Amino acid sequence: MTQQVSPQAFALRGVSKAFRYFKLENLSLELPLGQILGLVGPNGAGKSTTIRLLMGLMTAETGSIEVLGHRVPEQVAAAKAGVAFVSDDMRLFSGATLAWHMRFVASIYPEWDEAYARTLLKHFNLRAEQGVKGLSRGEHIKSMLLLALARRPRLLILDEPTSGLDPVARHELLTELMQIVRDESRSILFSSHNTLDVERICDQIAFIDRGRLVDARDKESFLDRWRRISLDVPTGVTLPRLKDVVNLTLGEQLATLTTDRYEPALDAVLQASGARITDVQRMSLEEIFVASVMRSRAEVQS
Amino acid sequence: MKSSVFWALVRKDIYVLRGFMIITVAVGLAALVGMRFGRIGFAIGGILFLTANVAGGIFIAMYSLLTERKEQSNLFALSLPISGFKYDLAKLVSGYVGYGIPWSVLTAIGLAGYFMPYAAADRGMFVYGLVLQLFVMALFSFVLVWLFVVASEVLAGLVILISNICFSLFMVTLNQPEVTRPLHSPHIVWTPFALWAIAGELAVIALSTALALFALSRRRDHLRSL
Repeated sequence: MTQQVSPQAFALRGVSKAFRYFKLENLSLELPLGQILGLVGPNGAGKSTTIRLLMGLMTAETGSIEVLGHRVPEQVAAAKAGVAFVSDDMRLFSGATLAWHMRFVASIYPEWDEAYARTLLKHFNLRAEQGVKGLSRGEHIKSMLLLALARRPRLLILDEPTSGLDPVARHELLTELMQIVRDESRSILFSSHNTLDVERICDQIAFIDRGRLVDARDKESFLDRWRRISLDVPTGVTLPRLKDVVNLTLGEQLATLTTDRYEPALDAVLQASGARITDVQRMSLEEIFVASVMRSRAEVQS
Repeated sequence: MKSSVFWALVRKDIYVLRGFMIITVAVGLAALVGMRFGRIGFAIGGILFLTANVAGGIFIAMYSLLTERKEQSNLFALSLPISGFKYDLAKLVSGYVGYGIPWSVLTAIGLAGYFMPYAAADRGMFVYGLVLQLFVMALFSFVLVWLFVVASEVLAGLVILISNICFSLFMVTLNQPEVTRPLHSPHIVWTPFALWAIAGELAVIALSTALALFALSRRRDHLRSL
Protein backbone atom coordinates (compact mmCIF):
# COMPACT_ATOMS: atom_id res chain seq x y z
CA MET A 1 0.00 0.00 0.00
CA THR A 2 1.56 3.30 -1.01
CA GLN A 3 1.23 6.24 1.35
CA GLN A 4 0.16 9.44 -0.36
CA VAL A 5 2.04 12.59 0.50
CA SER A 6 -0.19 15.21 2.06
CA PRO A 7 0.76 18.40 3.88
CA GLN A 8 -2.12 17.80 6.28
CA ALA A 9 -2.50 15.13 8.88
CA PHE A 10 -6.21 15.52 8.26
CA ALA A 11 -8.61 17.89 6.58
CA LEU A 12 -12.36 18.15 7.03
CA ARG A 13 -14.11 20.34 4.49
CA GLY A 14 -17.76 21.37 4.83
CA VAL A 15 -18.61 18.27 6.83
CA SER A 16 -22.15 17.85 8.17
CA LYS A 17 -23.75 15.02 10.09
CA ALA A 18 -27.25 15.12 11.55
CA PHE A 19 -28.69 13.08 14.41
CA ARG A 20 -32.11 13.28 15.97
CA TYR A 21 -31.18 15.97 18.49
CA PHE A 22 -27.83 17.18 17.25
CA LYS A 23 -26.25 18.37 14.05
CA LEU A 24 -22.63 18.89 13.16
CA GLU A 25 -22.81 21.73 10.69
CA ASN A 26 -20.49 22.59 7.83
CA LEU A 27 -17.32 21.82 9.76
CA SER A 28 -14.01 22.69 8.11
CA LEU A 29 -10.87 21.97 10.06
CA GLU A 30 -7.29 21.07 9.17
CA LEU A 31 -4.28 19.83 11.06
CA PRO A 32 -0.87 20.41 9.41
CA LEU A 33 1.64 17.56 9.76
CA GLY A 34 3.71 17.69 12.91
CA GLN A 35 1.28 19.94 14.78
CA ILE A 36 -0.87 19.34 17.84
CA LEU A 37 -4.44 20.49 17.61
CA GLY A 38 -6.57 20.88 20.71
CA LEU A 39 -10.25 20.43 19.96
CA VAL A 40 -12.03 22.18 22.80
CA GLY A 41 -15.74 22.19 23.43
CA PRO A 42 -18.32 21.65 26.13
CA ASN A 43 -19.93 18.22 26.54
CA GLY A 44 -22.11 17.47 23.55
CA ALA A 45 -20.38 20.07 21.36
CA GLY A 46 -19.53 17.57 18.61
CA LYS A 47 -15.92 16.69 19.46
CA SER A 48 -16.48 12.94 19.53
CA THR A 49 -18.67 13.06 16.42
CA THR A 50 -15.89 14.91 14.60
CA ILE A 51 -13.38 12.28 15.66
CA ARG A 52 -15.68 9.41 14.76
CA LEU A 53 -16.11 10.90 11.30
CA LEU A 54 -12.33 11.20 10.97
CA MET A 55 -11.94 7.56 11.98
CA GLY A 56 -14.59 6.47 9.46
CA LEU A 57 -16.81 5.11 12.22
CA MET A 58 -19.58 7.31 10.87
CA THR A 59 -20.24 8.65 7.41
CA ALA A 60 -20.71 12.36 6.82
CA GLU A 61 -23.79 13.50 4.95
CA THR A 62 -21.97 16.33 3.17
CA GLY A 63 -18.38 17.44 2.74
CA SER A 64 -15.11 15.60 2.38
CA ILE A 65 -12.66 14.08 4.83
CA GLU A 66 -9.01 13.25 4.23
CA VAL A 67 -6.73 11.56 6.75
CA LEU A 68 -3.00 11.19 6.00
CA GLY A 69 -3.75 11.68 2.33
CA HIS A 70 -6.50 9.07 2.18
CA ARG A 71 -10.17 9.78 1.57
CA VAL A 72 -12.45 8.70 4.40
CA PRO A 73 -14.56 6.57 4.48
CA GLU A 74 -13.57 5.19 1.04
CA GLN A 75 -9.93 4.49 2.01
CA VAL A 76 -10.44 4.31 5.75
CA ALA A 77 -8.37 1.16 6.33
CA ALA A 78 -5.34 2.71 4.61
CA ALA A 79 -5.86 5.95 6.54
CA LYS A 80 -6.12 4.15 9.87
CA ALA A 81 -2.86 2.29 9.25
CA GLY A 82 -1.05 5.45 10.28
CA VAL A 83 -3.46 6.51 13.02
CA ALA A 84 -3.74 5.54 16.67
CA PHE A 85 -6.96 6.43 18.44
CA VAL A 86 -7.68 6.46 22.16
CA SER A 87 -10.99 7.55 23.57
CA ASP A 88 -12.39 8.06 27.01
CA ASP A 89 -15.22 5.63 26.25
CA MET A 90 -13.05 3.01 24.55
CA ARG A 91 -12.40 -0.30 26.34
CA LEU A 92 -10.03 -3.18 25.72
CA PHE A 93 -11.29 -6.76 25.36
CA SER A 94 -12.33 -7.76 28.85
CA GLY A 95 -11.47 -11.44 28.53
CA ALA A 96 -7.77 -10.86 27.77
CA THR A 97 -4.63 -9.53 29.45
CA LEU A 98 -2.63 -6.45 28.52
CA ALA A 99 0.15 -8.75 27.27
CA TRP A 100 -2.32 -10.41 24.92
CA HIS A 101 -3.39 -6.99 23.63
CA MET A 102 0.27 -6.06 23.08
CA ARG A 103 0.85 -9.21 21.04
CA PHE A 104 -2.41 -8.59 19.16
CA VAL A 105 -1.54 -5.03 18.17
CA ALA A 106 2.08 -5.97 17.42
CA SER A 107 0.84 -8.65 15.00
CA ILE A 108 -0.98 -5.96 13.00
CA TYR A 109 1.40 -2.99 12.96
CA PRO A 110 4.86 -3.35 11.40
CA GLU A 111 5.97 -0.17 13.22
CA TRP A 112 5.28 -1.71 16.66
CA ASP A 113 8.17 -0.78 18.94
CA GLU A 114 8.50 -3.53 21.54
CA ALA A 115 11.29 -1.77 23.44
CA TYR A 116 9.22 1.40 23.70
CA ALA A 117 6.20 -0.66 24.79
CA ARG A 118 8.30 -2.19 27.60
CA THR A 119 9.51 1.28 28.61
CA LEU A 120 5.95 2.60 28.73
CA LEU A 121 4.85 -0.47 30.68
CA LYS A 122 7.40 0.37 33.34
CA HIS A 123 6.79 4.10 33.16
CA PHE A 124 3.02 3.71 33.56
CA ASN A 125 3.55 1.10 36.29
CA LEU A 126 1.44 -1.48 34.45
CA ARG A 127 1.73 -5.27 34.63
CA ALA A 128 1.45 -6.97 31.25
CA GLU A 129 0.01 -10.17 32.67
CA GLN A 130 -2.82 -8.40 34.44
CA GLY A 131 -6.29 -9.09 33.07
CA VAL A 132 -8.05 -6.11 31.56
CA LYS A 133 -11.05 -6.69 33.85
CA GLY A 134 -8.92 -5.90 36.90
CA LEU A 135 -7.53 -2.61 35.62
CA SER A 136 -8.53 0.65 37.28
CA ARG A 137 -9.86 3.49 35.12
CA GLY A 138 -6.46 5.16 35.03
CA GLU A 139 -4.66 1.89 34.27
CA HIS A 140 -7.13 1.19 31.48
CA ILE A 141 -6.47 4.56 29.83
CA LYS A 142 -2.71 4.10 30.27
CA SER A 143 -2.92 0.62 28.73
CA MET A 144 -4.74 1.98 25.70
CA LEU A 145 -2.18 4.75 25.39
CA LEU A 146 0.65 2.24 25.56
CA LEU A 147 -0.98 0.25 22.74
CA ALA A 148 -1.46 3.46 20.75
CA LEU A 149 1.99 4.98 21.29
CA ALA A 150 4.07 1.83 20.79
CA ARG A 151 2.72 1.43 17.27
CA ARG A 152 4.46 4.75 16.45
CA PRO A 153 1.52 6.36 14.66
CA ARG A 154 1.85 9.33 12.31
CA LEU A 155 -1.38 10.75 13.68
CA LEU A 156 -2.49 10.25 17.26
CA ILE A 157 -6.14 11.00 18.01
CA LEU A 158 -7.03 11.38 21.67
CA ASP A 159 -10.66 11.89 22.61
CA GLU A 160 -10.92 13.17 26.20
CA PRO A 161 -8.01 10.96 27.32
CA THR A 162 -7.59 12.66 30.69
CA SER A 163 -11.26 12.47 31.61
CA GLY A 164 -11.77 10.54 34.84
CA LEU A 165 -8.07 10.34 35.65
CA ASP A 166 -6.68 11.31 39.03
CA PRO A 167 -4.25 14.27 39.03
CA VAL A 168 -1.15 12.04 39.19
CA ALA A 169 -2.25 9.83 36.30
CA ARG A 170 -3.20 12.94 34.34
CA HIS A 171 0.22 14.44 34.94
CA GLU A 172 1.95 11.21 33.84
CA LEU A 173 -0.13 11.07 30.70
CA LEU A 174 0.45 14.68 29.73
CA THR A 175 4.18 14.37 30.43
CA GLU A 176 4.34 11.39 28.09
CA LEU A 177 2.45 13.34 25.45
CA MET A 178 4.91 16.21 25.85
CA GLN A 179 7.70 13.73 25.06
CA ILE A 180 5.93 12.64 21.89
CA VAL A 181 5.33 16.24 20.93
CA ARG A 182 9.09 16.63 20.56
CA ASP A 183 8.95 14.34 17.56
CA GLU A 184 7.94 16.81 14.88
CA SER A 185 6.90 14.19 12.37
CA ARG A 186 3.91 13.19 14.47
CA SER A 187 0.61 14.98 14.57
CA ILE A 188 -1.85 14.88 17.43
CA LEU A 189 -5.52 15.71 17.71
CA PHE A 190 -6.33 16.19 21.36
CA SER A 191 -9.98 16.61 22.23
CA SER A 192 -10.90 17.85 25.67
CA HIS A 193 -13.06 20.20 27.62
CA ASN A 194 -10.12 20.76 29.97
CA THR A 195 -8.49 23.91 28.64
CA LEU A 196 -5.53 23.60 31.03
CA ASP A 197 -4.49 20.30 29.43
CA VAL A 198 -4.96 21.72 25.96
CA GLU A 199 -3.04 24.90 26.74
CA ARG A 200 -0.17 22.80 28.05
CA ILE A 201 0.45 20.63 25.02
CA CYS A 202 -1.25 22.06 21.93
CA ASP A 203 0.01 24.55 19.39
CA GLN A 204 -3.23 24.80 17.39
CA ILE A 205 -6.61 25.23 19.02
CA ALA A 206 -10.15 24.88 17.69
CA PHE A 207 -13.25 25.74 19.69
CA ILE A 208 -16.42 23.85 18.88
CA ASP A 209 -19.88 24.37 20.31
CA ARG A 210 -23.31 22.94 19.47
CA GLY A 211 -21.98 21.33 16.31
CA ARG A 212 -20.38 24.48 14.93
CA LEU A 213 -16.75 25.52 14.73
CA VAL A 214 -16.50 28.70 16.78
CA ASP A 215 -12.87 29.61 16.13
CA ALA A 216 -9.62 27.93 15.12
CA ARG A 217 -6.11 29.33 15.12
CA ASP A 218 -2.70 28.81 16.70
CA LYS A 219 -2.47 29.04 20.48
CA GLU A 220 -0.18 32.08 20.60
CA SER A 221 -2.50 33.98 18.31
CA PHE A 222 -5.41 33.24 20.67
CA LEU A 223 -3.46 34.34 23.73
CA ASP A 224 -2.02 37.43 22.01
CA ARG A 225 -5.25 38.73 20.56
CA TRP A 226 -7.57 38.36 23.50
CA ARG A 227 -7.48 40.99 26.27
CA ARG A 228 -9.72 42.10 29.09
CA ILE A 229 -9.43 45.86 29.58
CA SER A 230 -10.62 47.50 32.80
CA LEU A 231 -11.63 51.13 32.40
CA ASP A 232 -12.49 54.03 34.61
CA VAL A 233 -15.20 55.92 32.75
CA PRO A 234 -15.89 59.37 34.28
CA THR A 235 -19.44 60.71 34.16
CA GLY A 236 -20.25 62.24 30.80
CA VAL A 237 -17.71 60.15 28.94
CA THR A 238 -19.11 57.83 26.29
CA LEU A 239 -16.98 54.95 25.09
CA PRO A 240 -16.48 54.90 21.32
CA ARG A 241 -18.21 52.21 19.25
CA LEU A 242 -15.50 49.68 18.62
CA LYS A 243 -15.66 46.63 16.46
CA ASP A 244 -14.03 43.46 17.75
CA VAL A 245 -15.47 44.01 21.22
CA VAL A 246 -16.68 40.63 22.34
CA ASN A 247 -18.17 41.79 25.61
CA LEU A 248 -18.69 45.12 27.36
CA THR A 249 -19.81 45.32 30.97
CA LEU A 250 -20.69 48.80 32.14
CA GLY A 251 -20.92 49.80 35.80
CA GLU A 252 -21.49 53.29 37.21
CA GLN A 253 -17.98 54.50 36.50
CA LEU A 254 -16.25 51.24 35.72
CA ALA A 255 -16.29 49.26 32.53
CA THR A 256 -14.77 45.96 31.49
CA LEU A 257 -14.20 45.40 27.83
CA THR A 258 -13.21 42.11 26.21
CA THR A 259 -11.70 42.10 22.75
CA ASP A 260 -10.44 39.34 20.48
CA ARG A 261 -8.29 41.67 18.34
CA TYR A 262 -6.23 43.60 20.79
CA GLU A 263 -3.64 46.07 19.49
CA PRO A 264 -1.81 48.75 21.49
CA ALA A 265 -3.55 51.35 19.30
CA LEU A 266 -6.81 50.41 21.04
CA ASP A 267 -5.49 51.88 24.29
CA ALA A 268 -5.00 55.24 22.59
CA VAL A 269 -8.52 55.19 21.12
CA LEU A 270 -10.03 54.46 24.53
CA GLN A 271 -7.94 57.09 26.30
CA ALA A 272 -8.81 59.67 23.65
CA SER A 273 -12.48 59.16 24.53
CA GLY A 274 -11.78 60.29 28.07
CA ALA A 275 -11.75 56.86 29.70
CA ARG A 276 -8.80 55.86 31.86
CA ILE A 277 -7.33 52.38 31.40
CA THR A 278 -6.75 50.82 34.81
CA ASP A 279 -5.70 47.35 33.70
CA VAL A 280 -5.06 45.32 30.54
CA GLN A 281 -5.13 41.60 31.29
CA ARG A 282 -4.12 38.68 29.14
CA MET A 283 -6.82 36.03 29.30
CA SER A 284 -6.44 32.35 30.05
CA LEU A 285 -7.45 29.86 27.38
CA GLU A 286 -10.44 28.92 29.50
CA GLU A 287 -11.64 32.52 29.63
CA ILE A 288 -11.10 32.88 25.89
CA PHE A 289 -12.99 29.67 25.28
CA VAL A 290 -15.97 30.72 27.42
CA ALA A 291 -16.10 34.18 25.84
CA SER A 292 -15.88 32.70 22.31
CA VAL A 293 -18.66 30.22 22.99
CA MET A 294 -20.93 32.83 24.56
CA ARG A 295 -20.41 35.16 21.61
CA SER A 296 -21.10 32.35 19.15
CA ARG A 297 -24.31 31.40 20.93
CA ALA A 298 -25.44 35.04 20.98
CA GLU A 299 -24.74 35.30 17.23
CA VAL A 300 -26.72 32.15 16.51
CA GLN A 301 -29.68 33.37 18.59
CA SER A 302 -29.70 36.78 16.94
CA MET B 1 0.19 -4.54 7.68
CA LYS B 2 1.97 -7.52 9.20
CA SER B 3 -1.10 -9.71 9.29
CA SER B 4 -4.65 -9.37 8.01
CA VAL B 5 -6.65 -7.34 10.49
CA PHE B 6 -9.75 -9.23 9.38
CA TRP B 7 -8.34 -12.61 10.38
CA ALA B 8 -6.67 -11.17 13.45
CA LEU B 9 -10.13 -10.06 14.62
CA VAL B 10 -11.63 -13.46 13.79
CA ARG B 11 -8.83 -15.20 15.74
CA LYS B 12 -9.36 -12.75 18.59
CA ASP B 13 -13.05 -13.61 18.74
CA ILE B 14 -12.34 -17.33 18.74
CA TYR B 15 -9.87 -16.73 21.60
CA VAL B 16 -12.48 -14.74 23.52
CA LEU B 17 -15.20 -17.34 22.79
CA ARG B 18 -13.01 -20.34 23.60
CA GLY B 19 -14.62 -20.85 27.01
CA PHE B 20 -18.15 -21.05 25.58
CA MET B 21 -16.94 -23.33 22.79
CA ILE B 22 -15.23 -25.75 25.18
CA ILE B 23 -18.19 -25.80 27.59
CA THR B 24 -20.65 -26.41 24.72
CA VAL B 25 -18.62 -29.38 23.45
CA ALA B 26 -17.97 -30.76 26.96
CA VAL B 27 -21.64 -30.60 28.03
CA GLY B 28 -22.79 -31.97 24.67
CA LEU B 29 -20.40 -34.92 24.84
CA ALA B 30 -21.33 -35.65 28.47
CA ALA B 31 -24.99 -35.60 27.39
CA LEU B 32 -24.30 -38.07 24.58
CA VAL B 33 -22.61 -40.42 27.04
CA GLY B 34 -25.53 -40.01 29.46
CA MET B 35 -28.00 -40.95 26.72
CA ARG B 36 -26.63 -44.50 26.78
CA PHE B 37 -27.82 -45.13 30.35
CA GLY B 38 -31.41 -46.33 30.03
CA ARG B 39 -34.61 -44.44 29.27
CA ILE B 40 -34.11 -41.80 31.94
CA GLY B 41 -30.49 -41.30 30.93
CA PHE B 42 -31.60 -41.01 27.30
CA ALA B 43 -34.25 -38.41 28.17
CA ILE B 44 -32.01 -36.32 30.43
CA GLY B 45 -29.03 -36.67 28.07
CA GLY B 46 -31.20 -35.69 25.10
CA ILE B 47 -32.46 -32.56 26.83
CA LEU B 48 -28.93 -31.68 27.95
CA PHE B 49 -27.56 -32.24 24.43
CA LEU B 50 -30.15 -29.92 22.92
CA THR B 51 -29.63 -27.37 25.66
CA ALA B 52 -25.88 -27.38 25.07
CA ASN B 53 -26.47 -26.86 21.35
CA VAL B 54 -29.13 -24.16 21.58
CA ALA B 55 -27.87 -22.29 24.65
CA GLY B 56 -24.28 -22.52 23.40
CA GLY B 57 -25.35 -20.88 20.15
CA ILE B 58 -27.26 -18.09 21.87
CA PHE B 59 -24.44 -17.43 24.34
CA ILE B 60 -21.85 -17.35 21.57
CA ALA B 61 -23.95 -15.01 19.40
CA MET B 62 -24.74 -12.72 22.32
CA TYR B 63 -21.25 -12.68 23.78
CA SER B 64 -19.60 -12.20 20.43
CA LEU B 65 -21.79 -9.26 19.42
CA LEU B 66 -23.54 -7.65 22.34
CA THR B 67 -20.76 -7.82 24.92
CA GLU B 68 -18.31 -6.07 22.62
CA ARG B 69 -20.84 -3.34 21.95
CA LYS B 70 -21.88 -3.05 25.58
CA GLU B 71 -18.31 -2.97 26.90
CA GLN B 72 -17.34 -0.57 24.09
CA SER B 73 -14.37 -2.69 23.11
CA ASN B 74 -15.81 -2.44 19.57
CA LEU B 75 -14.39 1.09 19.55
CA PHE B 76 -10.92 -0.38 20.11
CA ALA B 77 -11.41 -2.95 17.34
CA LEU B 78 -12.71 -0.26 14.99
CA SER B 79 -9.65 1.89 15.66
CA LEU B 80 -7.55 -0.77 13.89
CA PRO B 81 -6.85 -0.44 10.16
CA ILE B 82 -10.02 -2.09 8.95
CA SER B 83 -13.17 -0.69 7.36
CA GLY B 84 -16.43 -0.79 9.30
CA PHE B 85 -17.87 -3.27 6.78
CA LYS B 86 -14.95 -5.67 7.18
CA TYR B 87 -15.11 -5.36 10.96
CA ASP B 88 -18.78 -6.36 10.88
CA LEU B 89 -17.97 -9.15 8.43
CA ALA B 90 -15.24 -10.42 10.77
CA LYS B 91 -17.83 -10.55 13.57
CA LEU B 92 -20.19 -12.52 11.34
CA VAL B 93 -17.47 -14.97 10.32
CA SER B 94 -16.21 -15.41 13.87
CA GLY B 95 -19.77 -15.97 15.07
CA TYR B 96 -20.23 -18.76 12.53
CA VAL B 97 -16.78 -20.24 13.22
CA GLY B 98 -17.17 -19.85 16.99
CA TYR B 99 -20.42 -21.79 16.98
CA GLY B 100 -19.70 -23.87 13.89
CA ILE B 101 -16.79 -25.70 15.54
CA PRO B 102 -18.67 -27.03 18.61
CA TRP B 103 -21.81 -27.61 16.52
CA SER B 104 -19.82 -29.63 13.96
CA VAL B 105 -18.11 -31.70 16.65
CA LEU B 106 -21.38 -32.46 18.43
CA THR B 107 -23.29 -33.09 15.20
CA ALA B 108 -20.60 -35.40 13.82
CA ILE B 109 -20.26 -37.41 17.04
CA GLY B 110 -24.01 -37.41 17.70
CA LEU B 111 -24.90 -38.62 14.21
CA ALA B 112 -22.03 -41.11 14.14
CA GLY B 113 -23.71 -42.76 17.13
CA TYR B 114 -26.51 -43.98 14.83
CA PHE B 115 -23.94 -46.07 12.95
CA MET B 116 -22.74 -47.86 16.09
CA PRO B 117 -23.85 -51.49 16.50
CA TYR B 118 -25.90 -50.69 19.60
CA ALA B 119 -28.04 -48.22 17.59
CA ALA B 120 -28.55 -50.46 14.54
CA ALA B 121 -32.29 -50.84 15.16
CA ASP B 122 -32.82 -47.09 15.20
CA ARG B 123 -30.46 -46.12 12.36
CA GLY B 124 -33.36 -44.42 10.59
CA MET B 125 -33.36 -41.81 13.38
CA PHE B 126 -30.18 -40.47 11.80
CA VAL B 127 -32.50 -38.32 9.67
CA TYR B 128 -34.27 -37.08 12.81
CA GLY B 129 -30.91 -36.13 14.34
CA LEU B 130 -29.79 -34.38 11.17
CA VAL B 131 -33.05 -32.40 10.87
CA LEU B 132 -32.77 -31.40 14.52
CA GLN B 133 -29.13 -30.33 14.31
CA LEU B 134 -29.69 -28.35 11.12
CA PHE B 135 -32.61 -26.63 12.84
CA VAL B 136 -30.32 -25.66 15.70
CA MET B 137 -27.83 -24.18 13.21
CA ALA B 138 -30.66 -22.34 11.40
CA LEU B 139 -31.81 -20.97 14.75
CA PHE B 140 -28.27 -19.80 15.51
CA SER B 141 -28.08 -18.07 12.11
CA PHE B 142 -31.40 -16.35 12.79
CA VAL B 143 -30.28 -15.12 16.22
CA LEU B 144 -26.80 -14.06 15.05
CA VAL B 145 -28.08 -12.12 12.07
CA TRP B 146 -30.90 -10.33 13.89
CA LEU B 147 -28.56 -9.40 16.71
CA PHE B 148 -26.45 -7.78 14.00
CA VAL B 149 -29.39 -5.90 12.58
CA VAL B 150 -31.20 -4.69 15.70
CA ALA B 151 -29.80 -1.80 17.69
CA SER B 152 -31.64 -1.97 21.00
CA GLU B 153 -31.47 -4.27 23.99
CA VAL B 154 -35.25 -4.71 23.96
CA LEU B 155 -35.23 -5.87 20.33
CA ALA B 156 -32.30 -8.19 21.06
CA GLY B 157 -34.36 -9.75 23.87
CA LEU B 158 -37.29 -10.08 21.46
CA VAL B 159 -35.08 -11.92 18.94
CA ILE B 160 -34.09 -14.43 21.60
CA LEU B 161 -37.71 -14.82 22.71
CA ILE B 162 -38.82 -15.48 19.12
CA SER B 163 -36.02 -18.02 18.69
CA ASN B 164 -37.21 -19.85 21.83
CA ILE B 165 -40.80 -19.94 20.55
CA CYS B 166 -39.60 -21.22 17.15
CA PHE B 167 -37.60 -23.95 18.85
CA SER B 168 -40.58 -25.07 20.97
CA LEU B 169 -42.92 -25.10 17.96
CA PHE B 170 -40.38 -27.04 15.91
CA MET B 171 -39.93 -29.65 18.64
CA VAL B 172 -43.71 -30.11 18.90
CA THR B 173 -43.91 -30.58 15.11
CA LEU B 174 -40.89 -32.86 14.92
CA ASN B 175 -42.17 -35.15 17.65
CA GLN B 176 -45.55 -35.84 16.03
CA PRO B 177 -45.98 -39.64 15.65
CA GLU B 178 -46.60 -39.33 11.90
CA VAL B 179 -43.23 -37.61 11.56
CA THR B 180 -41.17 -39.93 13.77
CA ARG B 181 -42.88 -43.27 13.05
CA PRO B 182 -41.35 -43.80 9.57
CA LEU B 183 -37.93 -42.93 10.99
CA HIS B 184 -37.96 -45.69 13.62
CA SER B 185 -36.33 -48.11 11.25
CA PRO B 186 -32.97 -49.89 10.87
CA HIS B 187 -32.64 -48.14 7.51
CA ILE B 188 -32.22 -44.47 6.69
CA VAL B 189 -35.45 -43.19 5.16
CA TRP B 190 -35.61 -39.72 3.62
CA THR B 191 -39.26 -38.87 4.17
CA PRO B 192 -40.82 -35.89 2.34
CA PHE B 193 -41.15 -34.11 5.70
CA ALA B 194 -37.44 -34.59 6.42
CA LEU B 195 -36.42 -33.39 2.97
CA TRP B 196 -38.64 -30.31 3.19
CA ALA B 197 -37.40 -29.58 6.69
CA ILE B 198 -33.74 -29.86 5.62
CA ALA B 199 -34.39 -27.64 2.60
CA GLY B 200 -36.15 -25.09 4.79
CA GLU B 201 -33.34 -25.10 7.34
CA LEU B 202 -30.66 -24.64 4.69
CA ALA B 203 -32.74 -21.84 3.18
CA VAL B 204 -32.99 -20.09 6.56
CA ILE B 205 -29.20 -20.31 7.00
CA ALA B 206 -28.56 -18.98 3.49
CA LEU B 207 -31.19 -16.20 3.72
CA SER B 208 -30.02 -15.13 7.17
CA THR B 209 -26.45 -14.84 5.94
CA ALA B 210 -27.59 -12.96 2.83
CA LEU B 211 -29.68 -10.60 4.96
CA ALA B 212 -26.70 -9.94 7.22
CA LEU B 213 -24.43 -9.17 4.26
CA PHE B 214 -27.08 -6.90 2.74
CA ALA B 215 -27.61 -5.03 6.02
CA LEU B 216 -23.86 -4.67 6.58
CA SER B 217 -23.23 -3.36 3.07
CA ARG B 218 -25.80 -0.60 3.64
CA ARG B 219 -24.58 0.42 7.08
CA ARG B 220 -23.06 3.91 7.13
CA ASP B 221 -22.41 4.23 10.84
CA HIS B 222 -20.48 1.34 12.32
CA LEU B 223 -20.44 2.33 15.93
CA ARG B 224 -23.44 0.86 17.63
CA SER B 225 -24.09 0.80 21.31
CA LEU B 226 -26.40 -1.55 23.13
